[in-house]
Amino acid sequence: MSDSAERSEASARTLRVPSELGQLAALRDFLRTAADEAGVGDAGAADLVQAVDEAATNAMIHGHAGRPGWVEVDVATKDDRFVVNVRDDAPGFDPTTVQSPDLSVHPANRRPGGMGVLLARLCVDEMTYRPRPGGGNILTLVRRFERNGKEDR
Amino acid sequence: MALETSIDQASGRVPITIVALKGELDASNFTELIEDVRRLYEEGSRDLLLDLTDLAFMASSGLVALHSILRLMHGEAPPDPEAGWGALHSLGLDVSGGGTQTEVQLCGPQGPVERVLTRTGLSRLFLIHPDRASAIAAF
Repeated sequence: MSDSAERSEASARTLRVPSELGQLAALRDFLRTAADEAGVGDAGAADLVQAVDEAATNAMIHGHAGRPGWVEVDVATKDDRFVVNVRDDAPGFDPTTVQSPDLSVHPANRRPGGMGVLLARLCVDEMTYRPRPGGGNILTLVRRFERNGKEDR
Repeated sequence: MALETSIDQASGRVPITIVALKGELDASNFTELIEDVRRLYEEGSRDLLLDLTDLAFMASSGLVALHSILRLMHGEAPPDPEAGWGALHSLGLDVSGGGTQTEVQLCGPQGPVERVLTRTGLSRLFLIHPDRASAIAAF
């Protein structure tokens, strides 16, 4: 195994931050770097960053709601799938059950909120939820990509 | 990356206040942008151009900021930032006629930000110009 491959295997693929909105930038940087290294492509990387930001923001604002806690992101690449788990220790909540705003309604006549989960959903190919054993939540986001950098969208 | 905001003035057919955003607009800083615009409105600004050219990222909380800015610039009761996220989420918005308004316009959104506006339908609320010069000419 070459040095670079060893580094790649050994490099941190998990980042845990305190549940503070000021930490979102660190999560985005972590995701952007990991997606770039995996060769996801600019648009795919931006979408993954968007989805993870929305998931982490939801966990911090609605999950922890000002109480202390943590949010953890881990990433893995399997074949053409970039897989991200967003874990937290907040009270159980399944964001996939949140009803999306009706995009056919003109935005002037919609309430401004509720877009986060919808955006996350639109940015990835799969979004699944499961409770975290021992308490908390795990949201798994999957984005497919072509390794030559060409996007499927 | 933090959010930097710079304010400029320009003259189209009307005096235009330009708010240029640089960096990342997310849940940690979107209320600051709303506060900036609230202050500008109180100081007399009535036509606002948001220059998004150097904005690398916008979260859904940025969309809440855009909604709130629209309300503020239409002279509607501004949201209370002290009341936090819940209050902002509970706001409705009724732009007369449901059409595109012209008091707040956008320019220069790059790939990721442009996609957020399009995917969520918020692009239907704003005239969006490719760059600052064409936006100023359009006011």
